[in-house]
Amino acid sequence: MEGVIGFFQYFWDIREMVFVLTVRHAWMALAGVALGTLTAVPIGILISRKPRAGNVVIDLAGMLYTIPSLALLGFLLPFMGLGWLPTITALVIYSWLPVLRNTVTGILGVDPAAKEAAKGMGATPYQLLINVELPMALPVIMAAIRTVAVLTVGITVMGALVGARGLGELIFQGISMMNNWTILAGTIPVSIMALLFDYLLGRLERRLKVVTSSA
Amino acid sequence: MTREISVELQKVSKLYGQDKVVDEVSFTVEKGEVFVMIGPSGCGKTTTLKMINQLIPHSSGNILVNGTDVAELDVVELRRSIGYVIQYIGLLPHLTIQENIAFVLKLTKHPKKMQKDRAEELIETVGLPLNYLNRYPRELSGGQQQRVGVARALAANPDILLMDEPFGAVDPLTREQLQNELLRLQESIQKTIVFVTHDMQEAFKVGNRIGILRQGKLVCLGTPMEIVKSDDEFVKNFIGQGALFEVFDTIPVTRVLQKDFPTARYDQKVDLQAEELEDWENVFIIDSDDSCKGYIPLSSLNSDGSYTADQIIPLPKASSPDISVKLAVQEMLWGGRTWLPIVDEKSGFKGIVQFRSCAGLVAGDRR
Repeated sequence: MEGVIGFFQYFWDIREMVFVLTVRHAWMALAGVALGTLTAVPIGILISRKPRAGNVVIDLAGMLYTIPSLALLGFLLPFMGLGWLPTITALVIYSWLPVLRNTVTGILGVDPAAKEAAKGMGATPYQLLINVELPMALPVIMAAIRTVAVLTVGITVMGALVGARGLGELIFQGISMMNNWTILAGTIPVSIMALLFDYLLGRLERRLKVVTSSA
Repeated sequence: MTREISVELQKVSKLYGQDKVVDEVSFTVEKGEVFVMIGPSGCGKTTTLKMINQLIPHSSGNILVNGTDVAELDVVELRRSIGYVIQYIGLLPHLTIQENIAFVLKLTKHPKKMQKDRAEELIETVGLPLNYLNRYPRELSGGQQQRVGVARALAANPDILLMDEPFGAVDPLTREQLQNELLRLQESIQKTIVFVTHDMQEAFKVGNRIGILRQGKLVCLGTPMEIVKSDDEFVKNFIGQGALFEVFDTIPVTRVLQKDFPTARYDQKVDLQAEELEDWENVFIIDSDDSCKGYIPLSSLNSDGSYTADQIIPLPKASSPDISVKLAVQEMLWGGRTWLPIVDEKSGFKGIVQFRSCAGLVAGDRR
């Protein structure tokens, strides 16, 4: 019991630093998810038109995905230096595989009858994409984005090793000083952030469904 | 009489590599006609249909829609001007029924208000309640979904409808209901319909003319009666032996109904010299209130044409004018007679159907 109170006392003492690091952590993670999605969804749409060439792209993303985060950061370091840039770049690279794969799966999985009917009624390729394929693939794409969001909040922790200054800073500091309170002060906000992102994206998904169905 | 031609195919072929799936098919579809393409699976009927709206581009030949070669038209514009109904319906699950019906109008950027009005109008046309407009496709049964599919095809008020096995995925009872509704609807909208099916009974029922395809070739083309009378072995096998009765089932009895038949006023002699007695075995006795009292076989009349009241045989059970020739023939067979009186519940005695006139439908001396 004393320990718990002691931890809260400690947490309160360093609250300003935790706050600054949380904000930094959050925007880096968000930027990673956003840039990853913005690059992977259009590429996914493109390669869904040419599934054979698409497999090459997905294999490539898969290879990048298997690189351990520490190694990837180390590899990016000479090109990008220290700080947020290599961190966000790594996040974008890790988000590619799930989002690409689900975008392709989602679009290829759209009911062929719905596509044929829409085409037969005179939908242009663009109208088909906007009115039929994307809305119908949305649940599958959103599932990937939610997975990536949780993943990204975790990987951002590693950014602390290249001076990105996220909550990872507290965690690594705690490890090196063998101070569990410091580790917890970094870990708890990371966990809450991951859950919060997942929840918010879930709400966004429902909103999008309403928008696409009333447009 | 020349009639306007809505769709014309001139030696149209489709090749997939070396495979000729459609082989120099030619036919014309007149305005307001229901043209049915039928054949075993893989005969090229659906491919032929999809070449009309260019969902599948043709390899050679010409396809004319309302007189214009489709090669000269923008495919998007072409498709928007033609209604399209498919077997698996393909409603968009994320859109309400209203948005589904008005989908073409949305593509062509018509105002929201107009989309809504048109959806309201069309859902009634296809016989669904107005409050279904706010539902989603998954909340409807298969038959209801296909009605929405038909309403959607009518949204832009096209002259031509392409229907690809539209009732193939619903149960037989619903199918019959949808066929009847299509016929009823067609009476008021008078669209040109190109209809693909593999069900011969459906073809006879909805088609004004039928084209039978086999291995990409059009092997037989004509009205249901012409198809039934075909000598082609393949066609004979394909349509089956009972086909004549199926055609008879689609012909209303009013086509062979004779309104002029020999009558005599009750209490008056029958004029045996009258020309109208020719070809008839019976004379019908009309009462003072114009109702039919019954009939007397000519052979049982006295030589001067007189008769007594007890010679009058009451009319057999009459049928309604709504029945088909098939039912009329069946009634005759049940009654052991070669004729059948037709009586309308409201307006009374309509006339007589003779077996001879039904047989004449096949011989072709009466249409």
